[in-house]
Amino acid sequence: MLPSTFEDYLEAILTITEKGGQPATLDEIAAALDTGKEAAGTTVSSLVEEGYLERAGGDAVRLTGKGSSVASQVARKHRVLQCFLTEMLGVDEDAASKEACTLEHGISDETIERLSSYMDGAQSPPGRLGRCRGHDVCTLLDCKEGDTVRVAMMRGHRRHRRLLDLGIFPGEIVQIRRKLPNDSVVVRVKGCDIAISPEIARSIVVESCP
Amino acid sequence: MKFALIGNPSVGKSLIFNQLTGLGVEVSNYPGTTVELQRGNTCFQREIIELVDLPGVYSLEGNSDEEGLVRRFLEQQDVDAVIVVANVTRLERNLYLLLQVAEYGLPMVVVLNMADEAAKRGLEVDPGPIHDLLGVEVILTAASQGKNIDRIIPAALAASSPSMVEIPYDHHIEAAVRSLGKMFAADRKESVRALLGFGDNPEQLEAARTISDEIESRHRMTVAQIIAANRHNFAHKIADLTIKEETELPQTDPDSILTRLIPGMPILIGILVGMLLFVFVAGSFLEGMIVEFFEVYAMQPFVALGLPPLAEELGVSILLALQAGLGIAFPYVFLFYIIISVLEDSGYMTRAAFLADNAMHRVGMHGGAVIPLTLAFGCNVPAIMSIRLLRSRRERIIASFLVTMVPCSARTVIIAGIVASFVGIGAAFSVYAIVFVLILVTGLVLSRVTPGERFGMIMEMVPLRWPDPKLVMKKAWSRLSEFLFIAMPLLLAGSVVLGLLEFFGVMAVFEEIVEPYTMALLGLPGYSATALTFGILRKEMAFETLAILAGTADLGAVLSSLQLYIFAVVTVLFVPCLATITVLLREVGSRITLAITIYTVALGLLIGSLLFYLLG
Repeated sequence: MLPSTFEDYLEAILTITEKGGQPATLDEIAAALDTGKEAAGTTVSSLVEEGYLERAGGDAVRLTGKGSSVASQVARKHRVLQCFLTEMLGVDEDAASKEACTLEHGISDETIERLSSYMDGAQSPPGRLGRCRGHDVCTLLDCKEGDTVRVAMMRGHRRHRRLLDLGIFPGEIVQIRRKLPNDSVVVRVKGCDIAISPEIARSIVVESCP
Repeated sequence: MKFALIGNPSVGKSLIFNQLTGLGVEVSNYPGTTVELQRGNTCFQREIIELVDLPGVYSLEGNSDEEGLVRRFLEQQDVDAVIVVANVTRLERNLYLLLQVAEYGLPMVVVLNMADEAAKRGLEVDPGPIHDLLGVEVILTAASQGKNIDRIIPAALAASSPSMVEIPYDHHIEAAVRSLGKMFAADRKESVRALLGFGDNPEQLEAARTISDEIESRHRMTVAQIIAANRHNFAHKIADLTIKEETELPQTDPDSILTRLIPGMPILIGILVGMLLFVFVAGSFLEGMIVEFFEVYAMQPFVALGLPPLAEELGVSILLALQAGLGIAFPYVFLFYIIISVLEDSGYMTRAAFLADNAMHRVGMHGGAVIPLTLAFGCNVPAIMSIRLLRSRRERIIASFLVTMVPCSARTVIIAGIVASFVGIGAAFSVYAIVFVLILVTGLVLSRVTPGERFGMIMEMVPLRWPDPKLVMKKAWSRLSEFLFIAMPLLLAGSVVLGLLEFFGVMAVFEEIVEPYTMALLGLPGYSATALTFGILRKEMAFETLAILAGTADLGAVLSSLQLYIFAVVTVLFVPCLATITVLLREVGSRITLAITIYTVALGLLIGSLLFYLLG
């Protein structure tokens, strides 16, 4: 088993490369892990030596096959743990994320499997719709035209009172009617079409409809 | 008797209001806001009934100006009954507002409008469940055909008791309502509103906040979200009972054309340019006619009277003001408002705003701002009047700055008449380029520094429909008369003051005083300052005055190309005209108007002197 620092690095690099599709630079890695660039450089070099990472021009690196399987395993553990902490135990989201970061390295694959299937069977308490169960948190912006999704959570709700009044609230099912290349979206809810700016659409967390 | 009409935007409320009231509609601004309130009278069985058309809102608890106004209006309980108008084809969402209004406990009547459209879509509407659940009269109408409209007033007169409906809330909310009720002897409505943060008893609000924080931490949803969800779910139930059959007919969806980037964007640009060209051509033609008419039938006969010089000067000033006012009012304000009303009532405006949203974000506004900015190319006056379309004060401030900088048709006359004909076409385009760059920079800067919260767009795409010609004309007419009432007195006063200054030779003294400065700063002779000053009255007058003062229409002979170019640039940027200032005062208040005036003057002088030093 790898030291937990290494796992954290691989997980961070996975998140960075998934987001942009580009290799992760040393700056990005250092920022993601909240550490110095030099320290990051040393760890990355040893990960390259071990064959988990490969160089991709400049100081940028990307995951090898071996690296990415470890990284996605860790990421999944993180997700399941965070899900359990927030949804089942009601821990605050930020705190849950930090906690999950510590727990993910010590927990066995089997326990994670069991925890995951336990949550799939359990009824989530009302108001906490299973938003991270098995899939990543996605927002309205990640949906395609024609998708039908359920609103799971809204960030910054105090500013967007009008969304509630127009019928967009956690639990409601909406259909994406139009999505422009600049990310403005039109959703259909309660038979009405509502146009939403990208910055607001980004704050609406959704899950795909059963 | 006094009744109020309330409903979501574009449910046909204005149309019903229009059919119920005849003449004597009075549009007034609610004190301290730019939100309009229409009042009208109707006669029923020899009794005069006052009707108030409240602005369309989605909720009584939002934070927009309109929602605040409707909320305050209902809190005053100053009406005998409210008439809630709902669009029956979008019943579920409309019922949400209806339930909120019902909670206020005023006698009410429910009007389910657009029954014709519902029938077309194969919806079967049964007003029974709403009647039973809310205990109020329900009328099914089709305002576009005038069907059942005559039943509204008798029903409102008969409505005496408020709706007794109780929305089933989540049990935590119910418990909170009960305990708040006990603690402060508040009724259900008051307690619910206290939980949402409304009310005027600080102790009660404090207690409600503590309770709602507790509920929030348990539910991981805010109280506002829970209450909204409860209301929506109740609305959903009622809608299910009311709408019997829903056979979704295959409809052609115009939005598949209008809201896609292609061909939506070219259509939007086409409509904007077309609108501009139309008003440009038709407007300047009409304006020319009005100005000419004044010249021939008023100005010349008046001058021919041979009155004493002071009286003549005064008379000419008044005529000039009338000419300027009417020359803007009919061709521009009226034509623009016809077009705007068509765009608004047809529902296209929301599509345009959706498409333009991202571009407008860069300069700190949302998509709706594309309309005033385009209008401004024709005339700044209706453009400023239309910044009401924007929601926040922040956006209105930014828009008013940018709109006053857009070269309107009068300024185009200057650019064409001075720069294009005496300096060259390329130079004329460069004036536009300078102005556009300045507008863009101003927008970018303002979007950073203007205080106020940034609101993204959350906007309902209202259904597309044919606008009602009568309503369109009425709206345009009301805007026209509004403009005449506010702008005319100021125009008259300004013109008379300028005329008198000229008459008593103050202008000549002024010219002498400023000559050294204008020469040093802009390289322009003193009389150009007079021309600039007259440009405040009507922008084209800067050109005309310059020609008169220079003593020749061939300006190229007396002024160098650079001088003409600088004069044009300064005039184009310099203070908006008097008519624009008057509408600015009304829409954004004196402080912002002053700021805009100072900014534009400073910008004009700065750019003018920069050009003088760089090119001279």
